Amino acid sequence: MVDVLLSDAEKTFIIHGIQDNLRDDGRGCEDYRHMEIETDVVSSTSGSAKVRLANTEILVGVKAELGEPSSGKPDKGRLEFFVDCSANATPEFEGRGGEDLALEISNMLTRAYDCPKCLDLGKLCVIKGQQCWVLYVDILLLECGGNLFDAASVAVKAALYNTCIPTVTVSQDEGHVDIELSDDPFDVQHLDVTSAPCIVTLSKIGHSHVVDASQKEEACCLARLMMGVTEKGTVTALKKEGSGSLDPSSVEEMMETGKRVGQALNKSLMEVLCLEEQKGKKKEKTGFLR
Amino acid sequence: MPTDSRRIAGPESSTNPYSFCTEKPRHDLLKNGKRQDGRKENNLRPIFLKAGVVSQARGSAYIEQNETKVICAVYGPREVVRKEDFSMKGLLTCEFKFAIFSCRERRQHQQDIEEKDYSVQLLEALEPAVCLDKFPKAQMNIYVTVLQNDGSALAAAITCASVAMADSGIEMYDLVAGCAVRVAGKNLLMDPCNQEEYKPEDETGLTNSGSVTVGLMPSLQQVSAISSKGEIEFELVKQAVAKCVDVCTQLYPVLQQALVKSVSERQNEEG
Amino acid sequence: MFSCYIVTFCSPRIRKTSSMAGMELLSDQGFRIDGRKPKELRRIQCRLGVFNQADGSAYIEQGNTKVLAAVYGPHETAGGRGKALHDRVLVNCQYSMATFSTGERKRRPRGDRKSKEMTMHLQQTFNAAIMTSLYPRSQIDIYVEVLQSDGGNYCASVNAATLALIDAGIPMKDYVCACSASFVKDCPMVDINFLEESSGGPELIVATLPKSSQIVFLEMNSRLHEDNLSKVLDVAVKGTKDVYQVLDNAVRDHISEVSAFHKLDQS
Repeated sequence: MVDVLLSDAEKTFIIHGIQDNLRDDGRGCEDYRHMEIETDVVSSTSGSAKVRLANTEILVGVKAELGEPSSGKPDKGRLEFFVDCSANATPEFEGRGGEDLALEISNMLTRAYDCPKCLDLGKLCVIKGQQCWVLYVDILLLECGGNLFDAASVAVKAALYNTCIPTVTVSQDEGHVDIELSDDPFDVQHLDVTSAPCIVTLSKIGHSHVVDASQKEEACCLARLMMGVTEKGTVTALKKEGSGSLDPSSVEEMMETGKRVGQALNKSLMEVLCLEEQKGKKKEKTGFLR
Repeated sequence: MPTDSRRIAGPESSTNPYSFCTEKPRHDLLKNGKRQDGRKENNLRPIFLKAGVVSQARGSAYIEQNETKVICAVYGPREVVRKEDFSMKGLLTCEFKFAIFSCRERRQHQQDIEEKDYSVQLLEALEPAVCLDKFPKAQMNIYVTVLQNDGSALAAAITCASVAMADSGIEMYDLVAGCAVRVAGKNLLMDPCNQEEYKPEDETGLTNSGSVTVGLMPSLQQVSAISSKGEIEFELVKQAVAKCVDVCTQLYPVLQQALVKSVSERQNEEG
Repeated sequence: MFSCYIVTFCSPRIRKTSSMAGMELLSDQGFRIDGRKPKELRRIQCRLGVFNQADGSAYIEQGNTKVLAAVYGPHETAGGRGKALHDRVLVNCQYSMATFSTGERKRRPRGDRKSKEMTMHLQQTFNAAIMTSLYPRSQIDIYVEVLQSDGGNYCASVNAATLALIDAGIPMKDYVCACSASFVKDCPMVDINFLEESSGGPELIVATLPKSSQIVFLEMNSRLHEDNLSKVLDVAVKGTKDVYQVLDNAVRDHISEVSAFHKLDQS
């Protein structure tokens, strides 16, 4: 993790504030910071999204390419996550410095999406056992302001929502299989992401826990619980992170909070995405030029 | 890899032999209250745990749960090699590896993504249990090898590594016991074997299908590791975690016994 | 963007329904593929101060090429004293491309030969422009991230990095502005895009300090007749001066905006 240096006094201040349900930026324990989502920001991708959560900035590009399905699932498309921690975020990430964090994020996302009902990968199959769509989900971390996992999962879901896969027609002649790709930008398939999970990270600070910890709060926290939560409230992934341990009863409390917050997060994310789609081409594209 | 020119090349188009063998149907994991290997829902497999098995290591342990066999060795505390890694707390590293021959399909020599993920989880399970602030400037290395994988490998590795750590004489707050549970429908199958383990590729059509692994420090009653795979309803996750916590507490005497045995053996040797 | 699928597989053949055949780099009417005139730049949009955590940052769009740059420093040299230079600052660059930035997906964002070369070029360029003797034994990091690539990656990177350095307040001799040029049908073309770049014609890349008309970086690929070199170079240098105007305006706008905020703060 990208660390900020905090003195003991500052840590005590943050911990005491959280006990009274008041965090150093004025939020309550279950409040997210301001989040901005924009989809369709990179035109060289099949789908893309940019998420800014306070100081955390994440850009996700989804590229659909034809490839071979994995041997275990011949009738399914593939979903591949790749995280790149850009040195723009912090000089520590220069060269291979960000690889451990990148691997951790991509593992967690892979785990959260690794269940049959999250995303209908059967739709991505072109020829069973031979050709399928491979969705490369590339996550670019541009600025670290705490709570990277949640922001990354929101950005991934938004980018998948935005993804357009060109329609393919398969025809057979004389033993040859021809795949024809439509070039019409409107003749495309969309993915159904309603049941895709969002990751909610709960940080145990003092005797309470908070969602969406800022960088300062992350420095005070020894144990985190990360949950992949779907809209229905089911849990697709669970992970304890950090060098501390948790009481079984507080694990239960944290999970309750995570479920509640996760469902709300999923719901408002879908609302925002639908609203953005309705605006369609009319919306002002700002990207990084705000 | 250098290629062997004298070797007869295989046919041009080939199919993985594993796709021909039929695995037992997996949808009836529980029949008349009995699992495929005859256990009941709550039953664990018998555990064999022995500390002090690798002579040149500072501490070591071996665990066997029927066909799941894990060996672990601990080296250190020793000086940190790189100066930049200096810290007032000791440095704990973990390397988790499936032996090449341990699984149905051959594993590679290099750590793959799954093994790296397990390494991190194992490290985070053990970190809270070790008194790292007693070892400034030092590092301790844990090496875990799964000799044979028949399910619940991570849980076995957690138990094994904590016993090895204790066997090495490194100060600890508590031991860590690991336990896994498979969630299938409304059933919670403790300590799943390979056949019962959750695999995302075979759809059973159940809403609830997944697995949960928990690491617990029994005398402190603190959860040090928790991880889950697959989509599970919220209430069931809670149940699964609670059950794992229970079972881990029950495992505690087994861990203690193994340590006592190794200590008394060592005393006999010396005396 | 479906042009990336003209890949032939061993067994199933993939066919595209339409093709780009018959495209001319310069039409008889004197227009380029994207409708520009030969001496017209692509639209440049930029913004300074995109990130809060970096000491300086900037974002630039040149047509469809989009680049982010961040500057950290001057600070203590990383990795011990060994690397520090006793008489000047160490300029450390890293060029990387997002895996989704190109038509076909890139496997690695950095570390390949091309981006290492680009890193080196950026380093040389900015060593010439930054007043390096002001910060002995320190280090300045310039990180460039290409988000979308449509030709002229080097030029956009240099322009973005210049803005980021200005945002960081690092003293430079002048702006560094870069521009590319090509030569088609006896006509020099400025600021070429990806299609024009990959057509196999000559490509001249130049970075200048516009006020003093000094060239700090010059590269040419492919073949060009000696007689035409000065024409193409002139066009490219003219391009850098045009770029300079745009960048200068952006910097002035940014500063007036920031100082307006500052006044609000004070009142």
